[in-house]
Amino acid sequence: MNWKNIKLIFIKELVGTIRDKRTIIAMVIIPLIFYPLLFMGIGYFNQMGNVKSEEVTSKVVISGTEFTPQLVKYFQDNNKIEVISAKDDFQSKLQRGEVQAILIIPLDFEYKIKNGETNQLTLKYDATEAKSRVAQKRINQIIEEYKNEIILQRLSQLDLQEEFIHPLILQSENVATAEKITGSFLGALLPYLIVILIFAGAMHTAVDITAGEKERGTIATLLVSQMSRSEIVLGKCLAVMVISLTSMILGLTGLTLAFLSGATIMGGIEGVKFGISFHTICLLFLVLLPLVGLASAVLIMVGTFARNIKEASSYITPIYMLTIFLGIISISPGIELGGKMLLIPVLNSSFTFKEILIGKIYWSHIITTFSANMIIAALALVRATRLFTKEEVLFRS
Amino acid sequence: MIQVAGLTKIFNDKKRGKVFAVNNLEFNCDKGQIFGLLGPNGAGKTTTLRILATMMLPTKGKVIINGSDVVKEANKVRRQIGFLSSETGLYDRFTPRETIRFFGRINGMEDRIIEKRMNEIFYNLDMEDFQDVRVHKLSTGMKQKLSIARCIIHNPPILILDEPTVGLDIITARIVTEYVKSFREQGKCIIYSTHIIREAERLCDVIAIIHQGNLITQGTIEELKRNSSSNDLEEIFFALIIKGEDSE
Repeated sequence: MNWKNIKLIFIKELVGTIRDKRTIIAMVIIPLIFYPLLFMGIGYFNQMGNVKSEEVTSKVVISGTEFTPQLVKYFQDNNKIEVISAKDDFQSKLQRGEVQAILIIPLDFEYKIKNGETNQLTLKYDATEAKSRVAQKRINQIIEEYKNEIILQRLSQLDLQEEFIHPLILQSENVATAEKITGSFLGALLPYLIVILIFAGAMHTAVDITAGEKERGTIATLLVSQMSRSEIVLGKCLAVMVISLTSMILGLTGLTLAFLSGATIMGGIEGVKFGISFHTICLLFLVLLPLVGLASAVLIMVGTFARNIKEASSYITPIYMLTIFLGIISISPGIELGGKMLLIPVLNSSFTFKEILIGKIYWSHIITTFSANMIIAALALVRATRLFTKEEVLFRS
Repeated sequence: MIQVAGLTKIFNDKKRGKVFAVNNLEFNCDKGQIFGLLGPNGAGKTTTLRILATMMLPTKGKVIINGSDVVKEANKVRRQIGFLSSETGLYDRFTPRETIRFFGRINGMEDRIIEKRMNEIFYNLDMEDFQDVRVHKLSTGMKQKLSIARCIIHNPPILILDEPTVGLDIITARIVTEYVKSFREQGKCIIYSTHIIREAERLCDVIAIIHQGNLITQGTIEELKRNSSSNDLEEIFFALIIKGEDSE
């Protein structure tokens, strides 16, 4: 095997890919510009919507105002609530969104209050409407205030202090720092994101330089040259690995930017710091590289087998779905890795990532994951090289 | 320089069973000669040339190119040949200079020699005006010139050209055939496939007519005319093909 030839193919594929506008759009523009803008947009409109529904006065129909003028006064005194007297069609007004809530007061309200009994009031609202949810919250608050007022009255009638009905109070304190919360959140999501970004990044290039070469009729020029089939395959695989790694890194950067920009507008998450030591990064790469190699080799193999880009894409879709599935399993809480599961590609890497990120370093897991993925990647490369010598694969139409 | 003996290629087709794409082909081609493979589409021209260019393995028979066997010494053969076909497309995102540099390098040439030879070829083929324009912006004629340059950059003694004028306008086609003639003058051995009778007549020293994988006849144009009642190659061609079909 001649490294000079491998390097020639590697550079040719890399330059060809970088000069492709689609690569730049998918690899740079979408993650670094589109993701942050999208998140900022979502955050902005979300906040605008919230502010708007908080500002608007809630129109509330109260049925049975005459049964408790005292409670109704609480409502009338609230400047965010407009009380509307109940007419025949108030039910349909709620459905049409003309009023935000309906409160029904029973006939014997005052009687029950006086006799120390429980009153049941009915509140009707539309949970799918933001304004209606705000109205519900406001009504709840008023009812709560009124309820406390009555409790205090009843206690004083019995000569009891307020403390009497609060024998225990539990105060919970969360000692986790903002940094730790962010870390554990990212730690749970990051392995999955890395796996998906690696596969998504490798897909386009892997197909373009294999099935795409067949489709454009350029493959024979490589085959009649002095290069061996294994040099061609290895050069192509290395190029896909570089593209895949780069797009993973750019993708993560974009998502981090998006997350931060979105979070800032949505009210802010304070103290987002995600520190990783150099040692951890080295360990991550030990798991990452075989995974990138595996993804590239498998995709090159499939791309070489396929007649054209379209066929390659339809073969790759189920592989991508399987990857997503394995990624989801690996971040599901409560699943422990061990034994034969360490031999399942993607699952093993994603899980080992998670362990490394939360500081659990098991060398047996790292070594098994590394070896298992390297072996599968090598097998896929050998298979791809064989496909390159098969005339029925290279020349089928 | 090229010896083909008993060359047979059988494909297994799901519906049709065994298909003889090429059946017992025998021919030789010498230095400074253009050997024409003339036949309609599907005659077996492309399959024959793919085997000669080491892209495909023969089912039976032997092909020796400049002393090397295409099966046993494929790599040695590849060093000797320049191959041009519809499958030897160009990379859209590279310029002619980058393309030629790449193909020179993967054929094991030194950069200094590549540059010297590339400049010569670009001058001869009148390519200097567009040598730094990316391929996707070039016209069909410019692309075909570049394809020719690619196929001769490593100065191979043998050229295998599979329908090099197909899809070209008459002016570009003329340019291509003129270059092929000049390669003959340089002493190269050229195998040239075509389905255009006029082209074969004008260009080839020896013509082999193949139909449905069988070699029907071969010889110089004079020989073909002498052995036939007609003086017109087209008439001879159709007469032979009809005869070939009747005898089956």
